[in-house]
Amino acid sequence: MGEGIHIDALGPTGPYRSRHRRPLTSLSGAQIGEISQVPALYVRRTIAAMRAAPVLPGAQRFDALDAAAELFLTASLGGFGPQEYVDLVSTASGVPRAVVRQSVEWIADVLRSQRTTVELAMPRGAVGDWRDERTSEGSAVWARRGEVFAVHAAGNTPAVHGLWPEALALGYKVVVRPSAREPYTALRLVEALRQAGFPPATVTLLPTDHDVADVIIAEADYAIVYGGQDVVDKYGASPTVITQGPGRSKILVTADVDWREKIDIIADSVSHLGGTACTCASAVLVEGDPEPLARALAERLGRIPSLPADHPDATLTVQPTASVIEVDQYLHKVAGDARALLGGDTIVDELASGGAVLRPAVHLVDSSGAAQLGVELPFPCVWVGPWQPADGIAPLRDSLVLTAMTTRAELIDALLDEPSIINLYLGDNPTTWLRPGIPHDGYLGEVLMRTKGMIRTAVGPAAA
Amino acid sequence: MSSPVLDLPRAGQPAVDPDEYIAALMRWHFTASTGSPFWLRRARSLDFDPIADVRTFADLRLFPNVVDEFRDVGVEDLIPRGLTGEDRVIAGVYESGGTTGSPKRFVMFDRWMEFALGWDEFHYADLGPANVLAVAPSGPHMFGEFAARRARRHDGVRFTVDLDPRWIKRLIERDGPGAADLYAEHIIDQAAHILTTQAVGILITTPPLLERMARRDDLVALIRKNVRFICWSGAHMDADTREIFQAEVFPGIPLKGLYGSTTILGMSRERPGEGLDGLALFDPPSPYVVFRVVDPDTGEDVALGDRGQVVMNHLTKYALIPNNLERDHAVAVEPPPGWLGCSVADVGPVATFDDHAVIEGVY
Repeated sequence: MGEGIHIDALGPTGPYRSRHRRPLTSLSGAQIGEISQVPALYVRRTIAAMRAAPVLPGAQRFDALDAAAELFLTASLGGFGPQEYVDLVSTASGVPRAVVRQSVEWIADVLRSQRTTVELAMPRGAVGDWRDERTSEGSAVWARRGEVFAVHAAGNTPAVHGLWPEALALGYKVVVRPSAREPYTALRLVEALRQAGFPPATVTLLPTDHDVADVIIAEADYAIVYGGQDVVDKYGASPTVITQGPGRSKILVTADVDWREKIDIIADSVSHLGGTACTCASAVLVEGDPEPLARALAERLGRIPSLPADHPDATLTVQPTASVIEVDQYLHKVAGDARALLGGDTIVDELASGGAVLRPAVHLVDSSGAAQLGVELPFPCVWVGPWQPADGIAPLRDSLVLTAMTTRAELIDALLDEPSIINLYLGDNPTTWLRPGIPHDGYLGEVLMRTKGMIRTAVGPAAA
Repeated sequence: MSSPVLDLPRAGQPAVDPDEYIAALMRWHFTASTGSPFWLRRARSLDFDPIADVRTFADLRLFPNVVDEFRDVGVEDLIPRGLTGEDRVIAGVYESGGTTGSPKRFVMFDRWMEFALGWDEFHYADLGPANVLAVAPSGPHMFGEFAARRARRHDGVRFTVDLDPRWIKRLIERDGPGAADLYAEHIIDQAAHILTTQAVGILITTPPLLERMARRDDLVALIRKNVRFICWSGAHMDADTREIFQAEVFPGIPLKGLYGSTTILGMSRERPGEGLDGLALFDPPSPYVVFRVVDPDTGEDVALGDRGQVVMNHLTKYALIPNNLERDHAVAVEPPPGWLGCSVADVGPVATFDDHAVIEGVY
């Protein structure tokens, strides 16, 4: 089609429209445009050109990231003004407008915070630049382990694009493979970064099919890959791939804390960003009888209205009806003997404007070992179950975020020592709490950088 | 017994009448004095009489696909008894398959091979003397012999490398794709040595190997400097990749595809001029080799412009291999006027679409 939206590659020498393209569709299934699908040969040539390109000096990188934040918030980029962009993401990919706005603010915050983030992530023994005087006495220098960082993005919320700017700040060149469902944020961010001063060969956008996406990951030095458990299984063993799979974030409420005061925080943890973030709580474990908490949670979540994604008050995600029905069927299958307190009949709420809302679901399980507690689905879907100290921390393992509502210091020590709990929040903090500079899954620098020892004597006039 | 209509064409000779050709072909292969032991024996278990019932190209569909039987049959049984003299000179025995089971064997006759080789001769018309480098399957594959004969036509020699696709397949089964990667790089290393030290004018290879060569700047420079013709075959080349090769990697060097199979003992040639949305179009040498494209579910021919599974036919006095359903899928394309069957474009594996199975997680 000649009309409509075109999402093309942004390569090192400019935009590239491939002959092989796939349709971009709205929630009703109508085609609204096309997205290029570049071949492996283009990927390899692009990454080779990126490797050959010089690294933008540190000071310029941070200035460009600042400038990109402003452009991302306010400029017309890739043919879309800021409002048009928000409308497009909500109408085409079903992310609620308010969620898009929040995500945009978050990404801009991330871009503006990189000076600090990089400082915070760097080991104290290291300097960021070998020219630092400390190397004359001998010190560590923080150095890149590679040159090219690949991003295999997801489309559930634009906020996923808040992680990878850290790689640009560290001096990596970044190649972004956008989501086919929501490529608009990736395009907008890459355009903003380029207009802000990153040369085209330092940040590229390569839409591809799944096979060629593997080529991007294989060719880059490091990659971050968003996906389901299948992606975690596929890349989990690779030391150069950071997987962002199911978060299985959880909340624990022990008996010394009155959950009634915390129910809003718990409900927010489940429904924040329409339940589509990996930080959203998918399980709540309660010391004592979990049923009253589960009922209160179902009551709160049940109040959230079903609205079209572009409605100002919408918070629930909208997807093509067929996809929502599949999710509903899957939910019924995995729910098994769990007691449904909300959404047990159906989570599908079809909209006249196209697509269907994914309504929240609350289920009660009878044991802290129930398999359902590990099931994370892309909408506000939470499993509530009992916990007692004798169960230990096993039921709390494998959590991107665990919010522990407890006063028991020994338990907190044990949770912090558990390697499969990635972030530990205490008290009145939802699992979805985020701040630029505070790691989400460690700092990227922990993977992308290393220290190198350096001692130097004067080597003539300073090079720069 | 041999009808002149079955003789391979000479320059300027008018096209044969298709029905007359098919009828003569049936008489040849199913008459005791001229047919091969294989077909004479096989005819007894057919539920139709080939000579009486097969009068047109469409009637050939009565035949079962017999290529699986070529895995076990002795090659002597495949030689039509009517072939004599120059017609009876054998160029070689070549194999198909073998990566997915035991191989099927086919007898290649010298005269037919020269005709098959000449099918895309016009692409090479202005090339003059040249050596050939074939970076392609060796061993019992016809690819290598075609490359050797191509070199002879250009008063050159053929350089080659050892490449065993069956071993690659075994490696992948055992060690995953990384093993194939290592093997492929080993192949490219060998090709690089030849390209560096020898004057190679014609490069014959597969798209994946050509792409691997394109990853090495030094090889790209050598190819640009010396190679005057690139011939690819044996795999799919999508329109975008073809365009990048032509415009950016090897600008100005003719890049021509062949689409063939041992089961037809030859190839179809790339049609000159603009293809289908950037894709090469392949014309087989009708009526000797004829393609159809069918709906894999019904077996019926798809409409021109539609995609389906390729059915190949080899129809000469040297061999009869009808109705062979290939694994490849392709788009059926209007053939040149008067030709049997169809031409094809966008040959490749079965098109698959993304599954929508629910996978846990939010992404």
